[in-house]
Amino acid sequence: MIYLDHNATTPVRPEVAEAIGRATLEYPGNPSSVHAWGRRARDAVEQARAQVAELLGAMPEEVVFTSGGTEGDNLAIRGLCLGASVRLGKRNHLVTSPLEHPAVAGALEAITQGQPGRWTLTTLPVGPNGALELVDLASALRDETALVTLALANHEIGTVYPVARFAELARARGALIHTDAVQAAGKIPLDLSALGVDAATISAHKIGGPKGVGAVFVRRGVDLQPLVAGGHQERERRPGTENVAGIVGFGVACSLAHRRLRDTNQHFERLRQELVVMLGRVPGARVLGAGESRAERLPNTVTVLFPGAPGQLVAIGLDLDGICVSTGAACTSGSLRPSPVLRALGLDPTQASEGVRISLGWTTTSEDIDALGQVLPEIVARVRAATTTTATATATATTTMEGPAW
Amino acid sequence: MKAERIVVAMSGGVDSSTAAALLQEAGHDVVGVTLKLTDATGTAASLGGRCCGPRDIEDARATAALLGFPHYVLDETAAFKRAVIDDFVAEHAAGRTPNPCVRCNEKLKFGPLLRFARAVGARRLATGHYARLVKKDPRSLPWLLRAQDLDKDQSYFLFGVPAPLLEDVVFPLGERTKDEVRALARHHRLPNASKPDSQQICFVPDGDHKAFVEAHGGAGRPGQVIDEQGASVGTHEGTHRFTVGQRRGVPLDDGRRRFVLRIEAATGQVVVGPRDALQIRNLRVSDVRWTSGSVPRIWPLRCAVQLRHRALASPAWVTAPDDSGCGVDLDSPAHGVAPGQAAVFYDGDRVLGGGWIAP
Repeated sequence: MIYLDHNATTPVRPEVAEAIGRATLEYPGNPSSVHAWGRRARDAVEQARAQVAELLGAMPEEVVFTSGGTEGDNLAIRGLCLGASVRLGKRNHLVTSPLEHPAVAGALEAITQGQPGRWTLTTLPVGPNGALELVDLASALRDETALVTLALANHEIGTVYPVARFAELARARGALIHTDAVQAAGKIPLDLSALGVDAATISAHKIGGPKGVGAVFVRRGVDLQPLVAGGHQERERRPGTENVAGIVGFGVACSLAHRRLRDTNQHFERLRQELVVMLGRVPGARVLGAGESRAERLPNTVTVLFPGAPGQLVAIGLDLDGICVSTGAACTSGSLRPSPVLRALGLDPTQASEGVRISLGWTTTSEDIDALGQVLPEIVARVRAATTTTATATATATTTMEGPAW
Repeated sequence: MKAERIVVAMSGGVDSSTAAALLQEAGHDVVGVTLKLTDATGTAASLGGRCCGPRDIEDARATAALLGFPHYVLDETAAFKRAVIDDFVAEHAAGRTPNPCVRCNEKLKFGPLLRFARAVGARRLATGHYARLVKKDPRSLPWLLRAQDLDKDQSYFLFGVPAPLLEDVVFPLGERTKDEVRALARHHRLPNASKPDSQQICFVPDGDHKAFVEAHGGAGRPGQVIDEQGASVGTHEGTHRFTVGQRRGVPLDDGRRRFVLRIEAATGQVVVGPRDALQIRNLRVSDVRWTSGSVPRIWPLRCAVQLRHRALASPAWVTAPDDSGCGVDLDSPAHGVAPGQAAVFYDGDRVLGGGWIAP
C-alpha cells in the first residue's frame, strides 16, 4: 500500500501509539477527581497541554482540548461569536473566504442561520492561484466586523496565507481573528503568539496523533463561550471528561512534530520536487496553487489537474493499483462532487472535477513517488480514453438507431 | 472463464449483490460500484427508498466489504434528476404514464457505468438484471433475450439500452431463478439476502406518485370527467391523478364500474367508459429503437409486443417506421394500454426493439 493522502489523515507515529497504550492503562482516573488517580490523570493532561503549547508557540493555558478539527473550528468560531455578542456589543459582521474547510463554512452557516438577521457575512474574492489579497480584506473590514476566519494553509491546494498580516488588519479594526491551522501544524513553523491571531484550530491526526483529539488555541484574555453545557473542564470552555489517553498521544505527536519540523520540511521539499518533476511527465498535467516559492505553500501538498480525466476516476484507478490519493476533502458518503475550493479558483465544474490531491507525510519515501510515476501516466491515459470513447459510442448508437440499417 | 477485472453495478439489493458474489467465486477481480441517484437530504430517499438511496449504498458497501472487493460510489444525482425525474414529472403532466426504470436504463445507467468500467481497466460491466445476452457470432452485436426465469424477466426494462453498449455487459443472473439467487445470497451470508424486492419507483418510495408529481410542479389541470359521448359525469382535481385503465376515483355509471379511457391534458378532460372500451387493437409506438442493432428488413414485422412489465406479449404486426414511429396491429385486443409506457417487440425470447406508446 502506498499512502499519499496525508492531508486526510496521517498514520499514527509508533511512539504515539505506544504512549496511548501506556496512558490507557496507567491513567485510569478522571482528571477532575481530587484523589491520587485523578491527580495523576490531570498531570498527564497538563503535560500534554504543555507539549501542544510548545508546538503552537502558545502558553499552556491558551490550549483547549477538543475532539478534533471540526469541533475546534466550531468551538472557536461560534464560541468567539457568542463571547463577542457580549463583549463586542453591536458588532454583527463576519469575514471568511470560499477556500475554507467545510467545518469553518458550516460553523459560519450555523451562526448566520441560527440567529437570522443578526449577522452578515462577507466572503473574500480569490485570485486564480488561490491568493487572498490584503487589500481585499482591508476593504471587507468594517467597524461592525466581529470575526475574521481564514485558514493558515489550504487543505487542498496547500497555499499558505499571510495570516500575520490579516491579523494586523483585523485587530486594527477591533475585530477578532481565527485561523484554521489544521493543515499547517507540523508542516511549517507555527508561532501563534507572533502570528497575532485570537484563536486557532489544530487536530492531532494530521500530525501523527490519534483521531478524535484536537485543540483550540485561545489567546489569553479572549472570551470564548462553550458550545456544550454541563461541566467545568478546560476552564469552562469545553465541558466533558477529557480523552486522557488521546490527549497524551496528541502531546507526544506535537512534541515529535516540533522536534522534527526542520527535517520534515526538508524531507517534504525534496519529495515534492521529485513529485512535480514526475507529474511533468504526464501529458497535460497542471499543478495548481501559488508560485513555487517555499514561503507560499505547504511543502507536502500538490493538487494536479489532468484535463480530460475526471479526478475521481484517476483516484479510483490508483486505488485499484494500491495507491491512495484523494480528489479533495474526504466525504462520508464516499461520493465526490467538484471541489468548492477548485471552483473558487475560477475553474469550471469540469475542470474542478479533474483535480487530484497528492499529499505527502512522514512515511512517504522516494520509492512511493517512483511507484506512483510508474502507473500514473497509463491510468490517466486510460481514464481519458474511457471518458471520450464512451461518450462517442453512446452518441453513435443513438444516431444509428434512428437511421437506416447499419 | 479467465480471470479478468469486471465492474459490478450494485444497487444494494440482493440480485446485484449475488451477481457480484458469483463473479468473484468464478475468480474474477470484482470492482463494485453504486450509482447515487437520489439525494441523502431528499425526504423521499431518507424515508427508506428501496433503491439507490443512502441505505442501499450502505448495503452495497457492506456486501463488498464482506466479500472483500473494493466498492465505490458515483454521484449521478444531477444527471438522474435531468434524465429521469424531470421526465417522469413532465410525462405525468402531459397525461401519460411514464416508466422511469426504462428511462433510467436507456438514458442514464449504462453510459456512466461502462465509462467507469473502462476507466478502471475493466472490459466488462455486470448488473443484477434478469435477462440474457447471447452472441451468435463474434462480429455481430449480442442478442438481448428474456431471462430463464420468466417470472423475474426484466428484458422489458432494457430495450432502450443502446445496442453497442450491451456488447460489454454481462447479466450473471440471466439463467437463475429468484429462489436460486436468494439461496446463493444466504449461502454467501450476504447482509441483504432477505431484503424485499423493490416494488416502488426508487425516488417515490411511498408509492404516492400523485403527491410526488404535485410537489415537483407537474400537476395537470383540473377539469371534467366525461363519458365516451362527451357528457360530463363529474369533475376531478388534476389529470396527473389518472392513468389509463384506472378505476379509482372514477364515478360509477348506475352502479357499474367505469375506467379511465383517455387523458386529455390540454383540455383537462378525463374520458371514462366501461371496461370493454379499454380494449385496443391498434396503437402507435413512437421513438422506436432497435435493440438488435439493425432495423428489420421485412415489413410489416411479425413479432410479439409487450405493453407492460409482467404482461404477456401479444402476437402482432408492426408496420414500417415513419417520422412518427411504428403502427402496431395486435392479433387480439389488449386492455389498459397506457400512453407513455414502453412497447417492446419480441421475436420469441429475443428483444428486437421497442418504443413508447403514443397517445
